[in-house]
Order: sequence, then structure tokens, then C-alpha cells
Amino acid sequence: MLEIKNLQVRLEDEDKTILSGLTLTVPKGEVHAIMGPNGAGKSTLAYVLAGRAGYQVTDGEVLWNGENILDMEPEERAAAGVFLAFQYPMEIPGVAGLTFLRTATNAVRKGRGQSELTTPEFMRVVKQKAADLKIDIAMLKRPVNVGFSGGEKKRSEILQMAMLEPTLCVLDETDSGLDIDALRVVSDGVNALRSPDRAMLVITHYQRLLNHIVPDKVHVLAGGRIQATGGKELALELEKSGYASYTGEAA
Amino acid sequence: MSIQKTKAEEAISTQFVAVAGQLPGIDAVARSRKHAIAAFNKDGLPHRRIEAWKYTDLRVAMKSAFEPAVNLGISNHTDWQAIAEVLGPFADLDVARVVLVDGVYVPELSAVEILGGDVQIMPLAAALSDECFADMHVRPPRIEQDHAIAELNTAFMTDGAAVQISQSTSKPLHIINVARGTDERMIATRNVISVGDDVEATIIESFVALGSAATQTNALTHIAVGERSHVHHIKVQEEAMASTHLSTWIVEVSGEANYRGFQFSTGAALSRNQISVSYGGEGGKVDISGAYLLADRQHCDTTLVVEHPVPNCESRELFKAVLDDEARGVFQGKVIVRAEAQKTDGKQMAQALMLSEACEFDSKPELEIYADDVVCGHGATCAEIDPDLVFYCRSRGIPEDQARGLIIQSFIAEAIAKVEDPAIADVLSARANSWLERDRT
Repeated sequence: MLEIKNLQVRLEDEDKTILSGLTLTVPKGEVHAIMGPNGAGKSTLAYVLAGRAGYQVTDGEVLWNGENILDMEPEERAAAGVFLAFQYPMEIPGVAGLTFLRTATNAVRKGRGQSELTTPEFMRVVKQKAADLKIDIAMLKRPVNVGFSGGEKKRSEILQMAMLEPTLCVLDETDSGLDIDALRVVSDGVNALRSPDRAMLVITHYQRLLNHIVPDKVHVLAGGRIQATGGKELALELEKSGYASYTGEAA
Repeated sequence: MSIQKTKAEEAISTQFVAVAGQLPGIDAVARSRKHAIAAFNKDGLPHRRIEAWKYTDLRVAMKSAFEPAVNLGISNHTDWQAIAEVLGPFADLDVARVVLVDGVYVPELSAVEILGGDVQIMPLAAALSDECFADMHVRPPRIEQDHAIAELNTAFMTDGAAVQISQSTSKPLHIINVARGTDERMIATRNVISVGDDVEATIIESFVALGSAATQTNALTHIAVGERSHVHHIKVQEEAMASTHLSTWIVEVSGEANYRGFQFSTGAALSRNQISVSYGGEGGKVDISGAYLLADRQHCDTTLVVEHPVPNCESRELFKAVLDDEARGVFQGKVIVRAEAQKTDGKQMAQALMLSEACEFDSKPELEIYADDVVCGHGATCAEIDPDLVFYCRSRGIPEDQARGLIIQSFIAEAIAKVEDPAIADVLSARANSWLERDRT
């Protein structure tokens, strides 16, 4: 279970509070969506969960399976099961996708006290998972994300997620930059990872992603805290009425 | 204005007088050597007031001159196993090889027969007894960025490889320069490589040391590439850490030939790589690239001049420097496009990855264009490791050190990708990784 309690976060470099008392619980096996206007703090929440530098947690805590992950380094969080699918996946020129995937997979396995995969074992797993996501293995021989289309980058993120077998998946605007077909492939990939052991936090601007990845709950994030929580119908309501009432409330 | 000679300059002049009688070659060669040392004596070691040496003040850096490695009688004292060990994965490449130990061609360690009769390889010392060869090759063409280093090479060269390739070769030729590194020595070698028309060939030059004693290396390779030929030329400099490595490549490219040079440097306290390229016919293509990985107070200077005197030629340069501690990387790249050289296509890029606060990168691109219908460009970047990229890797479970290593590899890989032979590129990547591993301990 993910428990975020009264999380308060400000940017380290400027005196600006982004999250001001965010409280949220995501039980295992559930998918929760976080929706909200620009500047609400959605990406900040994702980055703070993954452990990016530059954010100062001034109060509150984040527990994953009872463990406070805020004290952990990013790689320790990955080993603990946290995975962030980036809104803008990074390009790594000169490092083949397969090399990166194998390095990451084995690093995480090592962190979890599992044995590293041999090359044939790794290849067998990666081929299967790539095929599920309609990723050509040739694409993985190219440098990580270099020259990839928006859809290819997002599929590559979901493949990383599938390989690392996280238990807490945070998807930051995974629908941005996707056309309808790519959206379906990516959503299918995410849905395939839904399991009773896994909690997912899906961050999005738009309701349309939630037609494909149907959430158990929808939270509205505005003004640095959760303003409302409801079922999937809340997303449809937001699509009609917008965030104005929540931002008004926040201000 | 006359300047007081430095201790090193004095010593070089004195040493020449002492060893001149023992240096190989016919009388004409001896005369050329005397001319060369006279020219050197006049100008001395290059210094920062000479524009091409602005960032590498050799006169200040070279505190002393080591005794030239002449007539040391060493051929029997070195075995291949010891050399293979320092060469690492380079020793496993399937190649024909020439081995020079302290500047002397050692036939017992060399193996060139596999290249067949269409490749003639002769020790330079022997070639210097040939009147025709001596007449043509003892004095190399003058290059714009330097006279002194080439003059010293002419004065002191002891040996090297004289190579003539008239048919395509299935295996690369690996010229391995080994410094025994038991005593401080000055080692001067010269390679003269002539590649015929319609030939494909790969030449690798390695510089390694068995011991840790410093060397002052002065290596000059003069290579002429025939029409429509495709030549790969790779240099790997892994000399002892206290060494001074002075290297000169003079490249002449004929019409429609394709020449791809690559220089990889991790060794020596001070290294200067001078490269001069000129085109002899239309349609020539040249790519000169390289990577240097430096730490401590290492200093590596690459100064190249590419001259386009004829139309329709292409030149590409990509140099990457990884700099740690107080290391200093220098890149000076000059492209000259003469008035006749219309439709020249030249692009140049120098990039540094700075791993510390105290390292330094000096990049000086120069375009000298006299033609009016050309495409020429240059660029330089200087950056630290991108923290967002480190975070991306760490969020995938990769520990910070490993993430930084991966990003450095990624940076270098773009340069190594210029090496078309996958086996050689793999070995270069492995050497870069060894450097990273060493860096982390």
C-alpha cells in the first residue's frame, strides 16, 4: 500500500511551495488516477516519489509497504519496487537499448537480492515482453530513445517497466504525445501489468487515457493538495466542467 | 630576437651530435638530419607565442631531454607475452603486426607474411639505405601547424615501417610501438605508408609501455592514399603516465579516396597530436575523429589542419574529450578552403565532458574560406554530466557511479562509432571502459 501523508514539498532553488499537505492512499491491486490543471504539482508528486533531486520535503511522509521511501536513494526505491514512467523519457546516445535494459534489470535484481539474468535468460524475457508491446527487437539495438517517435519512447518506458517488475508504478502523463493507436498499445501494456500485488498511480491531464486504463479511483490535484476523490465518473465530469471550481477553491 | 636556449633544447642539440654517427641511412639521409637539427636549433622548441602552440607550451613543459634510444641492442630482451599483456584486447585482434621496441623494428616479434606479396613492409632503417626512398621520404612535407616536431623526427628517427600496399588487405596492419620503460628515453619513429589505387586497408598504430619510466616519443606517419582507395587509420596512445607524446600524421588523399582516421588517447602526461590532411583530387572524403580520456594533470592537444585545394571534397571531424581532475584537453581544428575548392563540404565538432571543477577544455575551430560556394560548419560543446540523465538511470535501479559511467560511455560511443570495423570499435570501447573502471577505484 502507498500512503502519502500530509506531504509538503518546495523547490530547493526557489522559495516556492508546490505540494502543501497532500494525502493519498493507494492500496495494492488498485489503479488510481491523478488529474489536475497545469501547475497543480502532478509531476512534482511523481518526481518526489522517484527521488529526483531539487525538491525539499518540508513535512509529511511517503510509505510504500510501510517503509519510508523518502530516505532512500532513487536506485534503492527502484529496488523497493518504485517505477516512474517519465513524461519525457531521456535519450542516451551511444548506449543500446538492450544494454541499458540489461544493466537496469540486473541492477534492480541485485538490489532485491535476486540473481542476475544471464544473457540468454535476459534475451528470452526481453523478446517476449517486447513482442507484447509490439516493439521490434531491432529498435532495442538502437541507442536508448534516440530518434524515437513519441509513441516509441512511451512504449520503451512501458517495456522498462515490464522488465523491472515494479510493484508501485507511477505513470507521468504517459498519454502525452501519443496518437490513438499508440495510446491503445501503451494502455494494453499497462493493463497487462495490473495485478493484485501492484499499485498504480496514473497522472494525466485528460480523461481519454482513463477509457483505456480504467482507474479504481480518481483524485483531483490542485493547489498542491487533493481536492476531491471519486470513481471513474469523476474524470468524465472533469472533462465537462474543467478544473475551475477546484482551482478557485485552492486559491 | 634571440632567446636563451632551454636546458632541454641544449640537450637535444648535444645529443644529436653524440648519436648522429649511429643513426641509420645513407649520406643523403645524414645530410637531411643535419639540416633538420640546424632548423630546430634555430627556432627551438615551440612555445605559446606561436599561435598553433598557444595552449601547449612545449618549451615550458619539456624540462629535460631524454637520451635518444639508439643502438640499445634490445631485440632479444622482450617477449610477445609481455607486450600482449599491455595491449590488452588489442593483442587478440586478427591482424598482421609490426613491433617496434624502443624505436627499433623487431622482426622476431613481427608477423606480416599473412598480408601476402601485395603488401611490402620494410623496416624504415633499411629503407633509409635506399637512395630513391631517402630522396622521396626523409624530409616530410611541411605542415602548417608545426615545423619543430617534424624536424626533430627527421633528425632522430631510428626506425619504423615503410609500407606499400598495392592490393586490398583482408587483415589490418597493426604497428605496435613498445617502450620498455625501464629508463627514460627519447624514441623517434617514422612510418611511411603508401596505399595504391582502388585498395581497401586498415592500419592501426599503438603506443604502449612495459614499464613506468617516461618516454619522449616523437612519431611521424606520412600516409598517401591512392585514388578510390578506402583507408582506416587508427592510433591508440596508452603511453606511460609521465611521458611526452608528440605525434604527427601527414595525410595525402587522392581523388575519390575515402580516408578515415581515428585517434584514441589515454596515456602520457603531455600529448600533442598534429594531423595534416590535404586532397590531391576531387571527390575525396575524409573523416578524422577521436576521443581522449584524461585525468590527474594530463594534457592532450589535438591540432589539425585540413586543406581543401580542389573542388567537391568532404571533411568531417568529431573529437570528444572526457576530462577529470585537473586534466586539460585542447582541440584546434582548422579547415582551409582554397578559392578553387568549390562545393567543399566541411563539418567539425569538438565536445568535452567535464567531470571535475578543475579541468579545462580549450577549443579553437578556424575556418579559412576563399571559395564562395561551400558548406562549412563547426561547433563545440562543453558540459558536465547531465544530472537529469543520471536520475533517469538511477530511477531504473542503476547505482549512481554506474549511471555516471554509462553516461560517459554514451558520450564516447558517438566518437568510437566513427570506427567502421566492429572488432576494432569493440576493443576501443573496452579500453574506454577500462579507463572508467580505473577512474572509479
